[in-house]
Amino acid sequence: MTRTFDILSKVGDEQAFRQEIRDWLAAAMPRNWRVEWQGLENETLKPKMIAWLEERRKVGLATPHWPKEWGGPGLPFGYQIIVYEELTRADAPELHMYMVSLFHTPATLFEHGSAAQKERYLSGITQGTDIWCQGFSEPGAGSDLAALRTSARREGDHYVVNGQKIWSSGAINAQYCLLLARTEQNVKSKHEGISYFIMDMQAPGVEVRPIRSITGEQEFCEIFMDDVKIPVENLIGEEGNGWNIAQSTLSAERGLLIFGGTERLARSFERDRVDGKDSWMRDPQLRREYAAFHAELQVIRLLIRKLLKELEASPDKASSNLSTFIKLSWGPFLQRYTEFLVRAEGLEAHKWKAPIPATAHTSRIKFSDFLKSFAWTIAGGSNEIMRNIIAERYLGLPR
Amino acid sequence: MPDSIDLDLLDESFAEMLGAEWRRERSVAYAQSGNLIAEDLWSQMAGLGWTALTVPEQYGGLGLGIDAASRLHAALGAVSAPVPMLGTTMAAALIAHAGSDSQRAAWLPALADGSMRVGFAQPSGAKLNFEDTSVNGIAADVLDAPSATHFVLSGRREGKSSWIVLAADSPGVTVEVHPLNDTSRTLGSVTLSQVALAEDAVILSADDRRVTDLLEHWGCIALASDSLGIGEAVLDLTIEYLKVREQFGKVIGSFQALKHRVADHKTALVGARELLSHVALLDPGDHAGLIDALSAKAHITRVAAEVARDCIQLHGGVGFTAEFQPHVFLKRAKLNEALYLTRNEALDRVADLLEAA
Ligand SMILES: Cc1cc2nc3c(=O)[nH]c(=O)nc-3n(C[C@H](O)[C@H](O)[C@H](O)COP(=O)(O)OP(=O)(O)OC[C@H]3O[C@@H](n4cnc5c(N)ncnc54)[C@H](O)[C@@H]3O)c2cc1C
Repeated sequence: MTRTFDILSKVGDEQAFRQEIRDWLAAAMPRNWRVEWQGLENETLKPKMIAWLEERRKVGLATPHWPKEWGGPGLPFGYQIIVYEELTRADAPELHMYMVSLFHTPATLFEHGSAAQKERYLSGITQGTDIWCQGFSEPGAGSDLAALRTSARREGDHYVVNGQKIWSSGAINAQYCLLLARTEQNVKSKHEGISYFIMDMQAPGVEVRPIRSITGEQEFCEIFMDDVKIPVENLIGEEGNGWNIAQSTLSAERGLLIFGGTERLARSFERDRVDGKDSWMRDPQLRREYAAFHAELQVIRLLIRKLLKELEASPDKASSNLSTFIKLSWGPFLQRYTEFLVRAEGLEAHKWKAPIPATAHTSRIKFSDFLKSFAWTIAGGSNEIMRNIIAERYLGLPR
Repeated sequence: MPDSIDLDLLDESFAEMLGAEWRRERSVAYAQSGNLIAEDLWSQMAGLGWTALTVPEQYGGLGLGIDAASRLHAALGAVSAPVPMLGTTMAAALIAHAGSDSQRAAWLPALADGSMRVGFAQPSGAKLNFEDTSVNGIAADVLDAPSATHFVLSGRREGKSSWIVLAADSPGVTVEVHPLNDTSRTLGSVTLSQVALAEDAVILSADDRRVTDLLEHWGCIALASDSLGIGEAVLDLTIEYLKVREQFGKVIGSFQALKHRVADHKTALVGARELLSHVALLDPGDHAGLIDALSAKAHITRVAAEVARDCIQLHGGVGFTAEFQPHVFLKRAKLNEALYLTRNEALDRVADLLEAA
């Protein structure tokens, strides 16, 4: 017989809250998942991911970092940290298929969505199993996102969309897409005339083709749109204001999303030195290299805590300079650290092993973790683009 | 009283005074002066109570902690101030935490009013023998020894770490000055031959481990703070320069190759500042606190030294001249990297502590 868990009612008593999460995790977490999920492809992985989200939903922790206004539990900052600490301690699977649903969609809709959109789509995430994807990049518009050419033409009560998106993570599983498309062709600046839509991925004319990534996984997809009809009520914000709205989406990607990843990495960082204690931790130079990463990891964890506190104080202020600094700290750090582990492990790291999904960057398959680090240095604004933003917008250096 | 002091306001008052009294031109001119200390600046600091910052209130101090001292050291680093404040911070920590009542009464008021200037031995240096009634030996490479009125030297007595406080003019004490590349500070080796050791000159603690940890924690934070101040200041003045210097018909700050380096430096410093304010609030007796303090020393002194190094490059030829300020910062930042613990020593300690956790 399984008992029911009431984690949220324990807010006010940290000890009890923590204990309740531990008890729940011991009962509800998928057993032996790292072994069973290794090498799984989307179709077989998806039901497992949905089942795990369902467990989290039952106890109100599908979206632990969401404020009440987003339909989340509205946990005080200290309690959010506890949730992530405990998920990490228990090594719970990451809800990576829900990344856009949990981070990008709320960040966008909360600031810019209509009441009806929030009501329908945020609850589709908190109460349903809606998977979202992000359709921003195009073959000709990556870093220069505003060069996008996918067009949306208004026809009565709907828009007709034509074009192609690329690198859309998880689009193959998705119900909805956060879509940027051009509603006005003749504009003075390319940032004008872009609009932001919710696109139903099941609509006629949408075709999705997966692309295999450097780890061998199906991380992202191409999306082809051929006369796809999007009802006008699925326009987010005003027509032509898509560029500004997209900044909210991107800033969620650059800050908050990194929180879970760093907490996991902090845990994995401890395990790495235990694993290496009879091998590379005996090499004085590798040992020092390892020790030097401690400061960098702390820096990122502290910056993220600061961002979370800012967000707690004003949940609608999703865009902060801090998230740019966090992204430019985290991506390169992660890449150097995972590369370090490949070197430390020697030849062993080069023997191929199937990747393990839902582990963020801590599958502990060193080469695969290293390869995945490029997601953080390229996607969501590359390192170079972060540097441009810091230099030009924050430090006032001229273009 | 400590509760009523807003550290941000303190920051502002530090920056305001130092900005007015220790302008770039003075800093650059001082670098060639051959002076051991900026006496006037030191007296002003003492007059404003800065030397009393961490001295307990009953001894004429403000009774603040390392978090306040961290702010002061960052402000001093930001102007590369030629004052022996590190010795005051370290000696006040030692005497307040481990001194007897009479020792506190003897030295703390003098530290607070600035009349006592301390050359504090490198924690990693060789240990002297304090078992007898006199002491012999060399305390090598003591920061600010040439301008000090007193030395705090470390050694051993009854199998424990202990410290002595000696007046610089005690019979048998000589100082060999080692000129430094960083002329904003001084270094000297202190030789003791048959120096009488008065019983009340020796600081002994029942828990000497706790005292060493505390000193290590404070030393790491003070040096990391100085470096943070250096890094931020040298980057700021470099950005100013990049906005006015023109080549190829435009300001050089518009070249992306330069912008990107500046953005990386800024990012590293934003992180360093966050790490430092976190570490300054940790309990030095706590294992994790010490790990973070040692990490902060290794990390932030390195970040600042690298930022300062690149800032010379970003200036071009003028960066190579004695008349521009970046070299003053580079030299000071490089010294901070080596002081108290080298990077390798600090990282070895971090690895030891992590493994012991
Ligand atoms: C793992 C992964 C997941 C992704 N998921 C999604 C997703 O779900 N949805 C989505 O829309 N997109 C997604 N992307 C796409 C991602 O946002 C783009 O790859 C990224 O914006 C870079 O664009 P690009 O690939 O066209 O590279 P390019 O823009 O062609 O860049 C190539 C190189 O040139 C540099 N560069 C470009 N412009 C400048 C400049 N002005 N100054 C200096 N250097 C410059 C870049 O930094 C890079 O090094 C994903 C990418 C990856 C790797």
